[in-house]
Amino acid sequence: MPEKQKGDCDMLSKEKFKYPFYVMVHPFDGFYEIRHREKGSIFVALMLVFLFGLSYSINRRYASFVVNYINPRSVDSRVEIAGIFIAVLLFACSNWSITCLMEGEGRFKDILTVIGYSLLPMVLTLIPATILSWFVASSEEGLYYLIINVATIFTVILIVIGIMTIHNYTFGKTLITLFISFIALLIIIFIILLLIYLLQQVYMFFYGLYTEIILKL
Amino acid sequence: MRRKKLWLIMIIIIMWLNCIPVSAVSSVPYHTYNYDYWEYIYYTPAAYIPRENISGVNTGSGMLNNPQDIFVAEDGKIYVADTGNNRIVVFDSSMKLERIVDSFENEGKKDTFSSPHGVFVTSDNKLYIADTDNLRVVVLDENGSLNRIISNPTSEVLAQDFVFSPLKVVADYAERAYVIAKNMFQGIMAFDENGNFTGFTGTINVTISTYEKIWRRLSTKRQREKQIQFIPTEFTGLDIDEDGFVYATNIDSKGKQSVRRLNPKGQDVIKKSNRNVRGEGTLSGDLYWRLQGDYSGASRIVDVVYRGYGIYSILDITRGRIFTYDDEGNLLYIFGGRGSQEGTFKNPVAIEAIDDKILVLDAYRGEIMTFSATRYGNLINKAVSLRYDGDEASAVKLWKQVLELDSNFELAYVGIGKSYLAAGDNKKAMEYFKLGMDREYYSIAYKRYRDDILEDNLSYILTAMVVLTAIKITVSRIKKVNAGKAERGL
Repeated sequence: MPEKQKGDCDMLSKEKFKYPFYVMVHPFDGFYEIRHREKGSIFVALMLVFLFGLSYSINRRYASFVVNYINPRSVDSRVEIAGIFIAVLLFACSNWSITCLMEGEGRFKDILTVIGYSLLPMVLTLIPATILSWFVASSEEGLYYLIINVATIFTVILIVIGIMTIHNYTFGKTLITLFISFIALLIIIFIILLLIYLLQQVYMFFYGLYTEIILKL
Repeated sequence: MRRKKLWLIMIIIIMWLNCIPVSAVSSVPYHTYNYDYWEYIYYTPAAYIPRENISGVNTGSGMLNNPQDIFVAEDGKIYVADTGNNRIVVFDSSMKLERIVDSFENEGKKDTFSSPHGVFVTSDNKLYIADTDNLRVVVLDENGSLNRIISNPTSEVLAQDFVFSPLKVVADYAERAYVIAKNMFQGIMAFDENGNFTGFTGTINVTISTYEKIWRRLSTKRQREKQIQFIPTEFTGLDIDEDGFVYATNIDSKGKQSVRRLNPKGQDVIKKSNRNVRGEGTLSGDLYWRLQGDYSGASRIVDVVYRGYGIYSILDITRGRIFTYDDEGNLLYIFGGRGSQEGTFKNPVAIEAIDDKILVLDAYRGEIMTFSATRYGNLINKAVSLRYDGDEASAVKLWKQVLELDSNFELAYVGIGKSYLAAGDNKKAMEYFKLGMDREYYSIAYKRYRDDILEDNLSYILTAMVVLTAIKITVSRIKKVNAGKAERGL
């Protein structure tokens, strides 16, 4: 018990910041310790999500002309960072709600941590890749895409391993839950939209009531 | 005192004069715009302005009644298929009535036309007439005598009950005729010099998306009957270039490709622009349109004119616009519109060109409307034709003038960039290629620029490498010596 408390109070210790790098190269052990030995930190995970959003946005805006097919007028860092946060939260929610029913051992906190820590390869490569892109001609753009693709695949592998480890699943079950999570994600979006629409109706009703009253009185 | 007042009045008059627009031409009764790399609409100066309306009344041929086709022969004579009056009206290049062709001698008897929809003239002034309701194509010699008649094509590939009613016709230098026939979806019908049907050319394959396939499988038979039939579209207009390549238009409701360039084997060899964020540009007029209401739907392209140097213009009947493309498939300029103002169309059906003038035939008004190029249009035409001839160096001066009028014109930046690249000013070339959104040439310029920098600084880089290795060797030597001393010391 005292040990756990110590871990809680220095949430921002040097060790916590170094831990994602350990997880990146030792995913099985790393994620296991996040689940069972409280080695992870929600704050660090969210910070990594934020950094990913930022570097993603920087890449979209500042990658060199040769490799950049993004209309600069369509880039808005605030929207992109917020969008990535929402996507991560939605995925964590849907995965949590599915794994709860399918004997998953991971907590919501663990899922969020896994996603955040898994994004580290992307965070580490997006900006160097952007800088590299300034020095490539169109025949050498393969190098740039190689780096980006390797990082993306690395991240996906880390997420799969992470989900597998924290829930104590087999590989097949992980893939199935990930697929079901995706469907759950769509359902959540649908329900949110429905809710917004209904709330709007309620609002319109009261607004109509209000105008009726002030006009009649 | 009085003098002062006079001066004041003069100054006021001069200032007032400044407020008057310099030319009335600056306002045309339609929007002139173009699409940039990102497919954003940007407004351009007018490339063409309305010039005059030529009706049958002011030329002495009598009113034109629902004319359907127009053709300008190589000698500048203008042939109009006056469909409703069953005749062909010929004007000379100054728009005076030259003659009227309404009959010809066929086996000793006088023969006439019945709603001729198409007209074409070869370089040796043979007149091809798509005599629609008589179900034949009539070929007349220069003096008006009958050369031959193309009718009743017979072939295994044609249905037994097929009725050959030709709408448009062109012929190449070998007198092979290409005919668009009513209700013929299989392609353009090709005939050899004797009038025998040889086959279809330019068949448009029907493409059904996976989504549509699934949807069709799920629906019942009765639902399927109500759905849109997946039949290839009909061709609408024809033209032929000096090499015998046929330009043909068709209606594409998806707005992807409405014009084809068919080689003698019947394959489409038209080039699509790659300067487009989606990778492949469209050849179908507008990119955006209203879904319902007036002037809604994709552009319906009804005719094409090949204007030389790889430039061709297509005519959209939906919104009455004329889109001009170059040999690489880049959209050069857009003008024209529907309406009842002067310079707009009611029902444009055919397009032709004489030099830098564009003629559009309006079937409803029975008029030929002419448009003449402005300085802007002229500069683009000239620059593109110089580029087509490979004379990019002389095009640069023109591109610079285009940019003075329209700083958004991307092709001009590429043209200027190429000249900088040829002159070896790679940095400047990079800047211009970036403005012109040309990644391919930008890359070439960048590579040369990078090589130059490396070459210039090669001596420094090599020196630095030699110095670094020297330092490394000495440091390791010293370490070894120190280690040896320490060992001996022990």
